[in-house]
Amino acid sequence: MSDFAAAPLAKAEQAAFRVLVVDDDPDMAGFLVRLLLQQGLQAETAADGRSALEKIAAAPPDLVLLDVQMPGPDGFDICRRLKGQEATALLPVVLLTALEDQDSRVRGIEAGADDFLSKPVRREELIARVKTLRRLHETRKELEGRRLAAEVLEKEAIRKAFSRYLSPRLAERVLRDSPRGEDVFRDLSDRAAVVALFADLRGFTRLSETVPVSSIVPMLNEFFTVLTAAVHENEGTVFSMAGDSMLVGFNVPVTQVDAAARAVTTGRAIIQRFGPVAARWQAEHGLSTGIGVGIESGEVVVGNVGAPSFMSYTIIGDPVNVAARLMQRAAPNELLIGPNAALAVNSMLARSAPLERRAVELKGKAEPVEVVSLKIAPAGGRR
Amino acid sequence: MSEPITVVVAKDLEDLVPTFMKNRGKELETLRAALNAGDVEQLRQLGHRMRGVGTSYGFEKVSVLGKQIEDGAGAGDRAGLAARIVEYSDYLARVKIVYE
Repeated sequence: MSDFAAAPLAKAEQAAFRVLVVDDDPDMAGFLVRLLLQQGLQAETAADGRSALEKIAAAPPDLVLLDVQMPGPDGFDICRRLKGQEATALLPVVLLTALEDQDSRVRGIEAGADDFLSKPVRREELIARVKTLRRLHETRKELEGRRLAAEVLEKEAIRKAFSRYLSPRLAERVLRDSPRGEDVFRDLSDRAAVVALFADLRGFTRLSETVPVSSIVPMLNEFFTVLTAAVHENEGTVFSMAGDSMLVGFNVPVTQVDAAARAVTTGRAIIQRFGPVAARWQAEHGLSTGIGVGIESGEVVVGNVGAPSFMSYTIIGDPVNVAARLMQRAAPNELLIGPNAALAVNSMLARSAPLERRAVELKGKAEPVEVVSLKIAPAGGRR
Repeated sequence: MSEPITVVVAKDLEDLVPTFMKNRGKELETLRAALNAGDVEQLRQLGHRMRGVGTSYGFEKVSVLGKQIEDGAGAGDRAGLAARIVEYSDYLARVKIVYE
């Protein structure tokens, strides 16, 4: 019936605050848009409830001026829908009602309206209300921004803490499942079935006596870098690096049904990848090095151990001790797998060659322990 | 000819007013048609719209007549509605706009 009295979409040059005017009367919509533009705001119009919802979904404005009486979904319906959806619940909505229409105001409050504007519209009232809501909206946005920034910082701190132990991929998974890590490290101590892997550098004591002191730390760092890369690829958790040895756990802190297989694969990868480094060190310093690995599985205590000022997330128990002693007994570039871990990877070991089963005496064990020995050829052909 | 009725409208609305007045003319025709058809709901809606938009632009009489038409439709006062529509027609014919 009517011609449109104003441009449907108009932008003020420096405005960032966007207002959607929803009114089926083009004269009223044009009037409101004109006043908003004069205040340096952006303004857009929608002639009915349906197109208003579409425009809000496509590009949520900062404020909605909403007429109550419209064809299709009326102002109350629109307001209720906006306030009922998480994405638009905080979007300020001002209902346009007749001054004396108290029933509409009550219905508007029930629908969640933030404010009301009387029709006929007085420009001073419109400007005052929009200014107030803009200030509130910007304060709310700023607070939300600060909250998000704090959340990002907190998550980053947790990620850094995790990265001391976990592979980046595993850390991402843990944070995805439990954004604050509370489910993973909730209990200070817990019993869990894990697979422990110990690895240490053979020949390093002699090497450290012959190479310049300034070279020792870079060489150790190179050694641990090779080990850590292999551990992270198999999603193991590094519990400690001490001297020239490393303790790694699998099936902790998250479940890994193939934990023993991951440990054996990691042990192989460690020895193989260290081959080129060992070859270079031999060429440079004339001394032979290799890696001994011990693996065993079983129940351990997992927890944060230490003094309040210095705590370590670690695993303690017989399988850890057995893995450590197997590592000590292992020859350079040998994997010694304890009986429990070997049982778990029986079929995997059956395909491994060369493989040797033997009984070894371990400190603290009354009887010899049946272990599986895997001799691994380092990359580059040395054994 | 009857005396003109002067209405002062804000200067910054000057470019919107021709369309506004054109729409009032169309509105008058629709009011007459709705009255002839006995469509009180449309009369009520049109009155409601007139009430909201009139004074916003500076045309207080449009809002006053709008409220009377809205109320008359609610009360089913056909004679009163007919009188208000005649009054609206007379107003639109006599209105003279001054921009300040």
